[in-house]
Formats: sequence, C-alpha cells, structure tokens
Amino acid sequence: MADLVTLTERPGLALATIMARQGVDAAAVGAALGLAAPIRPERRAGGGLELVATGPGQWLAVADAPASPWPEVLESRLGGLASVSDQSGAYVVWRIAGPGARALCQRGVAIDLHPDAFPPGAAATTVIAHLGVVLWRLEDPNAPETFEVAVFRSYAQSFRHWFEITARSLDPQRI
Amino acid sequence: MSRLVSGGLIDRARPLSFRFDGRALQGFQGDTLASALIAGGVRRVGRSFKYHRPRGILTAGSEEPNALVTLREGAAAEPNTRATTIELFEGLSATSQNRWPNLAFDVLAVNQIAAPLLGAGFYYKTFMWPAAFWEKVYEPLIRRSAGLGALSGQPDPDAYDRDHAFCDLLIIGAGPAGLAAALTAGRAGLRVVIADEDWRPGGRLLAERRTIDDAPGHAWAQAAAAELASLPNVTLLTRTTVFGVYDGCEYAAVERLADHLPAPAAGQPRQRLWKIIARRALLAAGAVERPLVFGGNDRPGVMTASAVSTYVNRFAAAPGSRAVVFTTADSGWDTAQDLQDAGVELAAVIDAREAPLAPAASRLRQAGVQILTGAVVSDAHGAALRAVDVRTADGAKRRIACDLLAVAGGWSPAIGLAANLGNRPVWSDAISAFLIDQAPPGMLAIAAAAGRFSLAQALGDGAREAGRIAQDLGFAATPAPVPAADDEPACVQPLWHVGAHRKKAFVDFQHDVTDSDIALASREGFTSVEHAKRYTTLGMATDQGRTSQVNGLALLAQATGKPIDKAGTILSRPPYAPVAIGLFAGPHRDEHFRPTRLTASHAWATERGAAFVDAGQWKRAQWFSRPGENDWLETVSREAAAVRAGVGICDVSTLGKIDVHGPDAAILLDRLYANPIAALAVGKVRYGLMLREDGLVMDDGTVSRLAPDRFFVTTTTVNAAKVMQHIDFARQVLWPDLDVQACSVTEQWATYAVAGPRSRDLLQAFAPDLDFSNAALPFMGLVQFRWRGSVARLFRVSFSGELAYEISVAAHHGEALVRALFEVGAPLEVTAYGTEALGVLRVEKGHPAGAELNGQTTAGDLGLAGLMSKKKDYIGRIMAQRPGLTDPDRPTLVGLRPLTPGARLRAGAHLLPVGAASVAANDQGYVTSAAYSPAVGSWIALGLLRRGPSRHGERIVLHDPVRGPDVEAEVCSPVFVDPQGGRLRG
Repeated sequence: MADLVTLTERPGLALATIMARQGVDAAAVGAALGLAAPIRPERRAGGGLELVATGPGQWLAVADAPASPWPEVLESRLGGLASVSDQSGAYVVWRIAGPGARALCQRGVAIDLHPDAFPPGAAATTVIAHLGVVLWRLEDPNAPETFEVAVFRSYAQSFRHWFEITARSLDPQRI
Repeated sequence: MSRLVSGGLIDRARPLSFRFDGRALQGFQGDTLASALIAGGVRRVGRSFKYHRPRGILTAGSEEPNALVTLREGAAAEPNTRATTIELFEGLSATSQNRWPNLAFDVLAVNQIAAPLLGAGFYYKTFMWPAAFWEKVYEPLIRRSAGLGALSGQPDPDAYDRDHAFCDLLIIGAGPAGLAAALTAGRAGLRVVIADEDWRPGGRLLAERRTIDDAPGHAWAQAAAAELASLPNVTLLTRTTVFGVYDGCEYAAVERLADHLPAPAAGQPRQRLWKIIARRALLAAGAVERPLVFGGNDRPGVMTASAVSTYVNRFAAAPGSRAVVFTTADSGWDTAQDLQDAGVELAAVIDAREAPLAPAASRLRQAGVQILTGAVVSDAHGAALRAVDVRTADGAKRRIACDLLAVAGGWSPAIGLAANLGNRPVWSDAISAFLIDQAPPGMLAIAAAAGRFSLAQALGDGAREAGRIAQDLGFAATPAPVPAADDEPACVQPLWHVGAHRKKAFVDFQHDVTDSDIALASREGFTSVEHAKRYTTLGMATDQGRTSQVNGLALLAQATGKPIDKAGTILSRPPYAPVAIGLFAGPHRDEHFRPTRLTASHAWATERGAAFVDAGQWKRAQWFSRPGENDWLETVSREAAAVRAGVGICDVSTLGKIDVHGPDAAILLDRLYANPIAALAVGKVRYGLMLREDGLVMDDGTVSRLAPDRFFVTTTTVNAAKVMQHIDFARQVLWPDLDVQACSVTEQWATYAVAGPRSRDLLQAFAPDLDFSNAALPFMGLVQFRWRGSVARLFRVSFSGELAYEISVAAHHGEALVRALFEVGAPLEVTAYGTEALGVLRVEKGHPAGAELNGQTTAGDLGLAGLMSKKKDYIGRIMAQRPGLTDPDRPTLVGLRPLTPGARLRAGAHLLPVGAASVAANDQGYVTSAAYSPAVGSWIALGLLRRGPSRHGERIVLHDPVRGPDVEAEVCSPVFVDPQGGRLRG
C-alpha cells in the first residue's frame, strides 16, 4: 500500500531537549530562540528551528541544518534561560505522508487525530504499539495529512515493523 | 431439502459448496452455516456439554447455545463457533463437537443414564474422596468427558490488528432503531460509528416481514445503509461486535474482517480490535427471545419462534415440514403466520394465555388452523423431534405429531453491555423482563433494548434520541419525519415453567442446567443468585446465558418463594461474545511480543557472531564465539582473560543516562545519593550509591560533572526508568523549589567500555591528539573532544578493575565508532567481549550488580557502608538506621572459592555451616553470583553470608537441592583480583 502511505526518515537532523529554568516562561525561551515557543502540545517552526512542546516548560528542538556547534549554539542563544541536552542521536524522526497517513497513525495512537481535534501543528507525546513517541502534524497546506513521529533510535526497528504490517492492511475504502 | 422455492435474502445465483462432518452440502451466498444446514435438512449439529444429548439449532443469532461447531481445519480451526453467526463461504468446512465416534452414535451419551448422579454440583459431591484423586484422576476425567470443542494445539496462523475510533455517537446495533438514529445523527453532522454483528444492516427487518413507508423493511434498511455509507462523518462497521464497555466512555469491539472468506488475503488480518471513545452511545442491540421450559425442550427441532421466522423469511429455509407453535407472547403468532404463508404445515398454535389478542390469531383461526389457548406443551418426544404432548386448558393431554416446535417465551432486552460497569438491571413487570435503569455514563438503551418492542417505537426512539444527543452536543439537527411503520402489539404473559413434565427440562442449554438443578441448588441453600449461578453453572457458558438467564432467575425466585424482582440479578462482564485471544495480542506476538531495543553496535555485533541476551527490552551481546570454541564457557573465559591480558571492548550503551542540569543540580544530587556529590570537581567522575526512601539500596552508577551546573549520571540498565522517575519525583514533588532540570539521554549516547592494560595504547592510536597520561586523564577523570565533527566523551572508569575507559558518541555515530575502535585496535588484538565476560570481570572484582542490588540489600550488606555520608542528609538516610538494617547479623557480601579445585559453584545455592543439617533453620545466606574465573583458575562466587566479613577463612557448605551436590567452599574477600587496585590506576 505504498501508494497510500510512505515512511521517510528525515536525515541529518540535530535534536535537543530544552527545559526552561525555574521561573522562565515560554515567551522568554521563544524570544531567545527567535520563534514562538508553544505552551500547549503543539509544534512551531521558525528561523530554521522547530520546537515541539513535550511537557510544561519542555520542548524537543529539531533543526534540519543546524548552526554549529550543536547544541552549544542553543545554549548560547538561551543564555541560561533553559537547560539543553543534545538528543541528535536519540531519535529517528520519520515523516508519514500520503492519503492513508492519518488512518495509519490512528491505528497506533489512542488519541483523536481528526483535523478538528488534532489540527496542523498539533503534537502529542504518546504511545504507538507500546513505543513512546512524539507525534505531530505538519502545518504545510500542501500536505495536510502529513505527520512526523520521533521515535527513540533503539526502537526504530520495532517501529518500522509496526508501520509495515499496519500499512499493509490499510483499507482504501476507509481513508 | 427444505429450501423454500422463492423468497429470502439469499443470492440463488451464487450457490456455495460446503462440508459438515465431511458431508458435502450446498447453500447460497447470504446463508449462515445454520441456515444452510437447515436448508440441507440437517437437524442434529452437536452433542451437549454434560449429558451429550443430541442438539439442534435453537436460535438464529449470536445468542445460540447449542449449535457450536469447529469451523475450519488444522491450525485455523476455531472451536465453539456458533453456526448461526458463520457466514457461508465456498469450501467451508465445519465439524460437530463433543461426540465420539460420531454425531449419530456417541459413547458418552450414557451420561444421560447416569444423569441422577450428575446434577448440580455433582463433582463437588461425587469426587471428594480420596482427595489425592482429584488432580490425577477425577479432574482429567471430567475434563475429557465434559467440555466443548478442542483447540488445534497449533499456533494461530492468523494476524490481528487494532484501530482506534473517536466519535460523538456510537450506535450499537444497526437494526431499525440504530439505523434511524444514525441517519438523524449523521445528517446533523455528528461523527457517528454504528456497529452491527451481522454482515447486513437491518436487524429484525431482515427476519420479519414488516414494512416501513410501505416498502419492505429490508429494503428500507438497505437504503438507510447506503445513505450512511455516503456520509463522510459516519463509519458503518458491519461484522462488528461491541463486546465491552469501560470507564471513560470507552468501548471495545471486534471487526471480523476475513471470517467470511475461506482464508484472509495474504498479509491481511483476520480480525481487528477497535477501541472506540464515544461521547455518547445508544444501545440499540434489540432483544433476545426466551425459550420455554418443558420436558425435552432441548430436542433438535425445538427452536425459538423468532429463529423460525428468520430462517423462513431471511433464508428461505424451512426448519421443519409440520410445525407447532408454542407461545406466551404475541410475537409467536407472527411466526405462525410466517410458517402458514411459507406453506409449512401448521399443526397447531398453542398459547398458554387464555385469550391472545394478536392480530394473526384471528386470521389463523379463520384459516382453520388448530388453536389451543390456555394450553401448554409439557413434553417433546424423539431424538429429533417427532411429537409433542399438549396439556389443554381443561387438563386433557393430547399428542400432536410434528417435526418443528417454535417456542416464544417473550423477550429479554439485550442489556448485557449496559451492565458491564456494575449497573444492576431492574425488573419490569410491564414487560416481564429486566431493563437497564442506570446505563454507564453517556450510554442510553433504546427501542427493544429498552423494552420498547414495536417497530414504530424502534424508529421513533432512534430518531428522537439521536436528535436529542445532536442538540446536547451543539449540533443543529434538522427534524425529519419518522418513517411510518407498524406499532404492533408485543404483549407477553410469562410462563416460566410448564409445571408437570416427564422429561428433562433445560434452562441453560449450553451448560445442561435443568429446572431440577435450580430447585436442588435452592434446597441445598444456594439461594443467592450469585451462589446458585456458580453451583449450577447456569449462565456461565460461552453464551453468557443470554437465552437462559431470565428463565433461571425466575425459577430460582419460584424455588425460594420470592418475587422475581427480589431474587436479584447478576452482572455481565466483557466480553459480551467470545473473543479470540489473538485479537488482544494483535501484532504483538512471538518475537514482536514486546518492542525490542537494539544498540548502535547491533549490526556490527551480529556480523561478529554475537549471541544476544535480553536485558529488559534490550538485546545485548552476550559473547562472541569464535570457530573452534566448544561452548560458551570457553568463549567467555577467553574474552575475560583477553581483557586482563590485553584490551577488550564491550558495548555498555544500555546503561541508563540522565542529564541533570541547573543551578541547583549539585544540591539535588547530594540529596539523592548516599555519598557526597556536591564537592565533585568539574571534569571528575564519582561512583554514586542511591538508596530508596526505606534505606535499602536502589541503584548505583557514576556521576560526572561537566560544568558547575551540568551533571551526567548513569544508572544500571534495568533501573534506568526507575531512577529517572525517582529524580523527577524528587525535583518536582519533594523539592520543587530547586532550580534543576533532568532528562533521559540514554538513547543519545552509544558507549563502549575499552578495558585492559592495553586500553590506553588503543585509545592513543584512536585519538592521537589527546593526552592520556595519568596527569592529564587520571582514574575517575573525563575529557570531551570532537570525533568526526561531533562531540565525544571519554571517562576513565573501570568495572573490570583494569585500566579502562568508557567512550561515548551520539548514537547515530555509534556503529562507526565501534568499527573505528576495532580498526585501530587490530594490531593490539583487541577482543570483543559480551555481558557474560563483563560479569566474570566484575565478580572477580567483587563489584555488586543486579543480583546483589536486589532490593533487599543495604549499603552495609554490600560492603559499602563507608560511602554513606554522615555530613549531609539524603534520601534513605534515616530509614537506613533502623535496627533491622544495621543488625551485624545481616547477611553481608563475601567471596567464596571451592575447596576442591574444579568444583562448580552456582548462584542460588544456600550457605550452611559445615556438618549442619540442610534445613531452613541452619540457612546463613546464599550465593548471589557465580562465575568461572580464568584469573583465579577456578569457579568463584559472591554471596551474602551472615556476619560475612568477620568469617574470611571459614569453611562453608553451598547447598543446592535443585541442581547438584553440596560443595564445600572457603569464605574469602569478595575481591579476587588485584585487591590493592593498582591496575586501574596504572
């Protein structure tokens, strides 16, 4: 069912966990990084950086072409507003695209992915097939049914197995 | 053949061949196995559970208690499948159950002769003595002779998957009420899921001959389903049974994707488990017709009246050629009319009521049908029905020849699901049935499931309640006229028991529970409904007593002299219908039972011939066999010796790793670890020991200080998540005032231990620019550098007791790192070693690990009392001072070496004084870890021995009653190699 859904790794990413210091709000963190840091389970992108909120005062930062050295560049921009931990090796980030992308993700995720409930830009720290994941829907108007999922690298093979058997049984009638 | 020449919702252009007990038969597309058997003249389909009585088909739905067959063959065989729900397909093969050698002649039918001994609770009474016989003789005997179909004994060849649905409204049942509700809600724009166990929506409309808006009911249903299919906000799930209701408006359902096919398409699942979260739910599951309790009421040929109508109307299959209808409800008269119109000879209609008012009654009377009112059937005759005895209103007895008896005992609303969360049904005198008073949150029973039985009520309920829900949820519902339909009467006057009868009268057909069993249970004091249920097993079969429960309760009420509403009701639990275990497992079976975690070096280790061991979800390389090595011990000994003599590399990436950052990080860590951390210098590493609140050891690891406000801590592999939780609890709950952040970086770093006297040489070759001198990088020092453009960290720590380092890079560079290390290490003959050699090396050094950090040991037990700071407070400090934890008699870590060279020591052996009897009173401790030490040249062990440290030099017996003879050993220091620790500072 490759025509219904595809799984593509986003290669060469730089990632980091950003945790705000005590008393520092999201606005300050966002201002330091040059984009609006979300305060709900959402993803925002700007200035070559994506921030996915994964908890109160906590974000997963994603960069395609990171300024070097990573993650020191984040630390220096934040100037002590937040703690930064490099996670570039910790996750594999996949893009799940195609007309069956939502149906496929919904097979695994026990939260509602209907666009009314999980609109473009929404994110969730949740579980797929017993694997902890961070999932978000892209805001690209040309690809409204496109999701990205960050999975711990050691689980990548298990995730791919789940994806492949699930994609096989997608029903074109129910998409 | 009893296929009617015309009519029915079957496709006569598509004949299907199938086999039952090897016999070739034919049916049509649109048949169930049951309807095809009836059309083929097959009346006996199985033998009963306990008495092995011949049984036929009682119903036409999922409530069927009798017609259980094994569907398919070999590994795909599925026992106890109801013939009434199996959709016929080409080549179907089914076999009857619970008979030997065959259905017509069954040896265990002699149980019927022994029936007086087999009443309720017979096994509690009969098989009491001798007690030892229960497990070895009686139970196996009972299990062989009772029971239903047998499992194939082979792995399930089918696949299962799961899906999640979220909706405003879940409608359970796609009969007239459900369809009307779905149309209203769907048109209003609600997200609707409507589920029905049948493959064709319509419910009773398929089985009856009623009209809606002057069109046949089934045609209306088809049009409704087509409209629903066209609405993008409506999901119509056919072949789907909602089988459970859970907290939080959560429903579980099974969708049978391929059960109607000879086999699932390649790679496709057979069934799908749905988890449905619904803001509201309408229970439109209809009602189940009750059989009547009279002698011989289980004979093949006795069938519920609604089932007879279903077979005649929907499947054009006549279940007999000469019929009697025995009814206490108006609906029975409709069946009589159906039979009459289908051309089946109607020998008599017997109504237990004095003056039935059903419209069909006067029509049939005019047609000259024999009608007996105020009369009952007392007994049915024939191994397959031949005749019935009728007791007329004046007490006279009459025998009527017939091969079909349709029984209509009234209707029980199908409320099982609504009782899943503990809501007890309440009795309604008005409809003589139980209703759900208080449904689970968000759920409402409507139409027949709410005791409102007419078709007009069904359509009205569905439209009205769906409209209300739409309004409640803020949708603008456009009112539409409710389709016009009959408001037919549905009067019933319950007849729980026919009184005097000669033959066995069954209440629960599937578990062979009779009226006299219930009376017996009551006489023996099992008067509580829950006790009577368990004593008689009434309602405990796979049908959950859907046809028997109410009759059983009524009989229990009679026996105990209570009105039925005081006799109590029992709850129903999920699943509402039997569900294959495989469905719950889904794709998580065999090697995919749980997720697998692979380290960055996995592919490399596989190339090197590693054997892997499970460590939690991780696969860790256990050892790396080389050609010519005979067994794992030879391999492991080679690896351990190579580390001591040269250099080895082991993947230790699975250790938990946590970043602890922030201005107060040092304060937090000082409170978490028993030993001092705050004073740790930047660029240094320290061993850290963490206690639980109760004073026992929780975990150990290392703490590294990368900057004044940046720490990096490691945990053991198994405790990684627990320690992360512990740290989060401490910083979020215990001390939220501290400005400290923590997150797991276990996945970020691939880490390799490089150990052995040549480890410095190897690393110097790997990183020629770094200064590896003791001055620049002393023991417990660390250095960060860049390797191929990304950060690498080098810690000089040692678990093996040798000069050793741990080197880390980001996990996506981990494979490249291990390959690079082996490349530069080749001239040094660097050896890959696995967890087993790692274990040998640490036992040789007396380092506690998982077997010693077992949640029962104190720091003192492990010889680490000296680490416990007296200058600061920390978690576990106070509780560790409890007398029981400071008792000098506690078993404490020692080393053990055998007195006889070559004797094998085993972990788990108990430590006994020499010459003492091997009884628990003499037990002084046990062996926690054992290994063959190439350095010592013998087996060695660590153990926890009472007052251990003061007993070095003593002899002790290792007693292992499971695996081997006693071994005598000498108690010694747990550090077998390099006790001065010179090597690791070398």
